Amino acid sequence: MGNPLLTFWHRLLVAPTQRPRPAHLSLLDEPAAASAPIFLVLRRMRAPLIVLILIFAISVVGLSLMPGTDAEGQPHRLSFFDSFYFMSYTATTIGYGEIPYPFSTAQRMWVTFSIYLAVVGWAYAIGMMLALLQDRSFRQAVATERFRGAVARLPEPFLLVAGYGRTGQLVGRALDAIGRRFVAIDIDPDRIDALDLDALRADAPALVADARAPAVLVRAGLLHDRCVGVLALTDDDEANLAVVMTTELVRPGLPVIARTSSVVVGDRMAAFGRPVVINPYDDFGDHLRVALHAPTAYQLRQWLTSPPGSRLPDVTDPPLAGSWLVVGDTPFSAEVARDLREDGLPVQVVAPGDDRSVDLPSGLSTAAGVVAAAGDDTFNLSVVEQARRRNPDVFVVAQHVLPANRPLYDASGADLVLVSAEVVAHEVLARVQSPVLWQFLRDLARAGEPAAQALRERLVVACGEQVPLLWTVTLSPDGAPALAPHLSRGPVRLADVLRSPQHRDSPVGAVPLVLLRDGSAHHLPADDTEVRLGDCLLLAGRPAVRRALGTTMEDAATAAYVLSGSEVPTTWVGRALSRTSR
Amino acid sequence: MNLEKVIFGFFVLLAATLNFGFVIGDISDPELHNPYELVAALVVSLVATVLKFGDRTQLGAVHLATSLVADLQLVAAATVWAYAASTSDGAVSGGTMASIVSLAAGALLANLVSVVLLVVETVSYQRR
Repeated sequence: MGNPLLTFWHRLLVAPTQRPRPAHLSLLDEPAAASAPIFLVLRRMRAPLIVLILIFAISVVGLSLMPGTDAEGQPHRLSFFDSFYFMSYTATTIGYGEIPYPFSTAQRMWVTFSIYLAVVGWAYAIGMMLALLQDRSFRQAVATERFRGAVARLPEPFLLVAGYGRTGQLVGRALDAIGRRFVAIDIDPDRIDALDLDALRADAPALVADARAPAVLVRAGLLHDRCVGVLALTDDDEANLAVVMTTELVRPGLPVIARTSSVVVGDRMAAFGRPVVINPYDDFGDHLRVALHAPTAYQLRQWLTSPPGSRLPDVTDPPLAGSWLVVGDTPFSAEVARDLREDGLPVQVVAPGDDRSVDLPSGLSTAAGVVAAAGDDTFNLSVVEQARRRNPDVFVVAQHVLPANRPLYDASGADLVLVSAEVVAHEVLARVQSPVLWQFLRDLARAGEPAAQALRERLVVACGEQVPLLWTVTLSPDGAPALAPHLSRGPVRLADVLRSPQHRDSPVGAVPLVLLRDGSAHHLPADDTEVRLGDCLLLAGRPAVRRALGTTMEDAATAAYVLSGSEVPTTWVGRALSRTSR
Repeated sequence: MNLEKVIFGFFVLLAATLNFGFVIGDISDPELHNPYELVAALVVSLVATVLKFGDRTQLGAVHLATSLVADLQLVAAATVWAYAASTSDGAVSGGTMASIVSLAAGALLANLVSVVLLVVETVSYQRR
């Protein structure tokens, strides 16, 4: 931007919306790469083009030198233009056939020679062109270019998903279902192809690339103004760490959710800004404990963090006391055994034999629960089957490894199936939907069963068995322009805000989950809680309820009706009349 | 010695010399301007253009631009000649010849810039 006036306007108009970023980052932008495919074509087509030009030159000059005769038999040579015209339609195999006079033998000989020359030239040029289109580096350049363009043109806020494996896929589909846009990178072309085949509502730009390279993340929109968060979900801990690191160094403060299966890597991630680190193995134990002690809270947690359209899952009925049998010798089984012991339950760990034989001890017949966690689906399933046969009442927990075996687990009759990808996906979805939702669900597990059961009743009455929509409303002049004037006059009861815009005597059908005020969260606010300007509400309800509440928030007449029952004239004439009558 | 540089320099210089050879002489005298020389200048100029494809440096971009200008001028000159020759049965009037040669002279200027760039590139090239 050499023009000082342009620089001035740019600073004046554009700069405030952009984040300040260190100057050296411009190195990552690679602006010249924008036309990379064109340069690649030009460079590779040099030789064929020169061959074509030379062939044309030889043919044209030669043809114009060949002696011929005109209609009266006088000597006549084709002019340069006529020869060029003739060679153009002949060499390109159009064969128009228009010539001023019949050719002499010399001219015919030269034309014969030229035709063969031209055919070779064209075959060479077209062959090179087709080879170029098939070329891997060229296709990569084109794909990268398209991806960069698609990311740059994304009109809505989007999340950057690094790693589109099982977890990434679950998260991606769920994000798409709740109407969030995302950009995906994965090192495996098959997964990116799978994304292209996935029936997503919105187009998700995807690229085959290594997320560990900062330039790749930048290409995927890390510096884009509408990039609102990064999800590091690859199955490689080091790669996830690299993503966390790059994000914090390149765009400090951008929310990051990273998955890891190692506590050490998790600690290293925590050194870069404030990433949310999800360790599925760590979380299994937490899941199991919640499922054992607060089955309804667990049921709600699974339900509220699943993609739209999911039905209320069955509630588990775990035994409260008794000994547990953990089968397996994986980090997961060790974690589960430790968590159960911390709960004061007697735990017996059974390692599978060297020949992978399943040898359940006699304690099984009196055990309260069995955890099959050997890191191997066939083995886990055989443990489930044996346990069921020998003790039909035992509570069976199974770790599910490969997605393809899902139907087998469903048929096996395990009471609780834990899948690492799903554990991560549920938590990611909860955290993406609202920063306070996950904490709310954790606290719900501690609040005791009656509270969770009451909430379940309320949600089922308000929203049915389908998972409710969760959304956040900020009671500020920006978030609720119609309500803000009323709130600024004094606090309003929460139940009054949540009345139906059609009939204010009945509630609109939204369940307030969390009230956020001055940074502290109040869970399940009661109806007579007073809301103030600046409060933030996390609500659950049907999509129609969200639209109805939207009118309360944004339309002054609706807001007045909902809060006080008074009908405010909405037209200019009506307002003028009501002013004079007052 | 780099063969690619030799070929590149050869074509750039040859385009300029052929162009100069065609332009030199009384501007309106058709006897002094050989059509074959114009065709040779045009073909060599086209080859030089293609040789400059795909260079992403600033100097490369200016090189390509000068070549494109030269091509455009020479093609215009050739077109004028072909059209004039077809309407007046082969012979070209002094006025038409003048416009053909002046178009080619414009191309010569562009080709000279190309040569200057080539020299600048060579002089600033440092590898000992």
